[in-house]
Amino acid sequence: MSYTYITPNATLPYCKGCGHGQILRALGEALTRLQLPPQEIVIVTDIGCVGLADAQFETPNTVHTTHGRSPAFAAGIALADGTLGEGRLKPIVLIGDGGAMIGLNHLVNAALLNPNMTVLVHNNFLFGMTGGQNSAFSPTGFVTSTTPTGNATPPLDLARLLIASRAPFVARKLASDRDLAETIARAIAHPGFALVEVLELCTAYATRWNPLTGAQLKNIAEAAGYELGILREEPRPTFAATYHQQAASVPAPPITTSDFTSALDRPMGLVLAGTAGERVQTAASLLASAGMRAGLQATQKNDNPVTQGTGFSISEIILSPEEILFTGIEKPNALLIVSDEGARELERNRVFADAVKTTLVLADDQIALPDMPCRVFRLPFRRVVGPKLAATAAVLAWLNIARPIPLEAFWAASEARYGSESNSEKAKLLSFLENCSFPDACGKVWDTAGGVLISCQGNGSAR
Amino acid sequence: MVNAPHRKLLSGNRLLAEGALDAGCRFFSGYPITPSSEIYETMMKELPARSGLALASPDEITALAQCVGASLCGYKAMTATSGPGWCLMIETVQYAVMTETPVVIAVVQRLGPSTGGATQGAQGDVLLVEFCTSGGYTLPVFAPATARQSYELAQAAFHWSERLRTPVVILSDKEVGMTLESVDVSSLARLPVAQRTPFTGTHGQFLPYACGCPLEPPTFVALGGEERVVATGSLHDLAGRLRKNVPEAVDLLKHLQAKIAAHAEDMAIVEEEPAANAELLVVSYGISARAARAACRRLNREGWRVSFLQLLTLFPVPSEAIHRAAQGCSSVIVVEENLQGLYASMLEPIVGKDRLVRVNGLGNMITPAEIIKVAEAA
Repeated sequence: MSYTYITPNATLPYCKGCGHGQILRALGEALTRLQLPPQEIVIVTDIGCVGLADAQFETPNTVHTTHGRSPAFAAGIALADGTLGEGRLKPIVLIGDGGAMIGLNHLVNAALLNPNMTVLVHNNFLFGMTGGQNSAFSPTGFVTSTTPTGNATPPLDLARLLIASRAPFVARKLASDRDLAETIARAIAHPGFALVEVLELCTAYATRWNPLTGAQLKNIAEAAGYELGILREEPRPTFAATYHQQAASVPAPPITTSDFTSALDRPMGLVLAGTAGERVQTAASLLASAGMRAGLQATQKNDNPVTQGTGFSISEIILSPEEILFTGIEKPNALLIVSDEGARELERNRVFADAVKTTLVLADDQIALPDMPCRVFRLPFRRVVGPKLAATAAVLAWLNIARPIPLEAFWAASEARYGSESNSEKAKLLSFLENCSFPDACGKVWDTAGGVLISCQGNGSAR
Repeated sequence: MVNAPHRKLLSGNRLLAEGALDAGCRFFSGYPITPSSEIYETMMKELPARSGLALASPDEITALAQCVGASLCGYKAMTATSGPGWCLMIETVQYAVMTETPVVIAVVQRLGPSTGGATQGAQGDVLLVEFCTSGGYTLPVFAPATARQSYELAQAAFHWSERLRTPVVILSDKEVGMTLESVDVSSLARLPVAQRTPFTGTHGQFLPYACGCPLEPPTFVALGGEERVVATGSLHDLAGRLRKNVPEAVDLLKHLQAKIAAHAEDMAIVEEEPAANAELLVVSYGISARAARAACRRLNREGWRVSFLQLLTLFPVPSEAIHRAAQGCSSVIVVEENLQGLYASMLEPIVGKDRLVRVNGLGNMITPAEIIKVAEAA
């Protein structure tokens, strides 16, 4: 018993002499020759007259898609089945020249990925279903309903483009070629991506407006500089064959154990402002993790310009003994500013204008700051520990003054992330902390809660 | 310590991806766009180790089309994007609606229009996401406000996508997706996730779009199975054959809407903090729900009587829950971060235009103080 694919003796829905009918018959002949189980074949059709082909298939699956997208749907089927399933499915895309141009990047992408699929491009040089409009494949001088005096734009060489896209099998044939079925069969049997561009004539429009016959297809191909035949047949490993070699898992962030305690009895919001690439967000996430080690809840809201490695970098951190709802900071308890770019962004966002009298500000001693109504401490972060550690030093300086959590919680969080690699940095930061003087004279203006500095009063700078 | 919290510092994006993985997502095709890229990166790293396939697609259209292809093979599939990428996906979302193909799309909003502000949050895509189909067919949309909700709603999205064979959107935003927060991972809920109902009829009798009841999706056969599959985005009959407006084809269109509408109440997920004899109801969703909840708690501490309602399901609109919560309240305040109060327009027919008060914002998160100011004046 042998499989049949196209409904026997079907009346094709195409005009007399239309190349679509020739291609469909050749495809039927190719399938009959190959005898693949029909349930493993998926005919994926595009929009246009080519999309009427679904109804002609009796046994294979059919998926009728959107204009130009059929190669992407087919790639999804072939890639999923090839890697997750049994790899038996063979999508065969039927697409016209209009669809091929819309879906050019889908074709290029599929050619590069090399899933097990076949594409038959029905190139009749125009849009047939909608009335014979010019396409990107129309030959120079071609008369269409939108180029009544002849097309002036040269046609795309799709086959060459797909060869440049590393498609392992590319052929260009004429619909009238006697060996068309043989070439299509060879394309389908090719393990991986295969594309056959078939040149054909639309008898409704092309032959009506242009002095053409089937025999002249070859002339069109020559005039356009199109090579004919199997242009490339160089199998390479399919996507599925190489996928599992790339598979690698990245571990999820570790669970933070609560091994310290905190006397903090209310939420505390801190803004850390610096420059991208200077580990601002890293310092912020170490602080958040340290807070969590001390039993607090934490949020870290980051802000940066569209670029990743330049410009400002700002993190807003909230530490709280209770659930944190709003992740913004309405009244910051502290501002830590370690670069000019960070300071300028805070100013643009009117953070300084919103700073309240009780906000504690720790700022690098070399950056420009506007006058603020709050207490500003200037510290030599950048000069002493360098730009890459300035944000971390500012966080540590703040922890040393406000003491919402033990410094040890910060070092534990740091070690959990970096291991002993961070030892030399830790020594540098510890030495910075020891040599920094935090004037006790200011102690009397501290407003503390349970031993934690929540806010400070008075203005002016201190060193 | 049996019930000790196990806290991790995690983003909404990360937990959304984890939720998808735990829901059984096997296929992901993505394209980078701020602020959703972390979902894509997480899936690229995690899926291979969890027997799945994650792909880097050349554009958003390819990404969703590949997901639909994978879903036709029977695999749970997802992609993630932001507003600009969503615009490109709409054509394929409609295809998934029409072919009744389950697929989940995470849309992490940023400030628009156009490329807008890539690193700024917003809630401007809520109606763009919902009303993206010709005919306005209801697309289920879930909106998390926290990392925990991102995890849970990713599972709900897969559940309803599979259950009703429909595309489903998880509508997040920059602040929900990218902000890190301490999450007690031991308290994260694993939700049941449905599977498509397989065809069990007589071999050769499978009709791809035949439903036992118009309120339920058709039974499913994956490509490559024993039954012949026919899928089409064009108007079709039960066998998937192209048809003009014969009653059978038009009935199938009605079915697309009816199957969603019939399960609206089951799909409704809300979180409520009702106040006794409440004078005011504050309704919010997504990132603004955090500020709105904080505002309500503060107001109630100061002696006001304000109920809070967070909508985790945005579409189908949880009308019953809104109607119930609004009973007896003189004003219903809807808080959302867009210029005109887009979702508030969905509440008008439920609570009445006269009671509706909008709190809106643009470019920054709405603060609890802004909401309190409006509530005190209402």
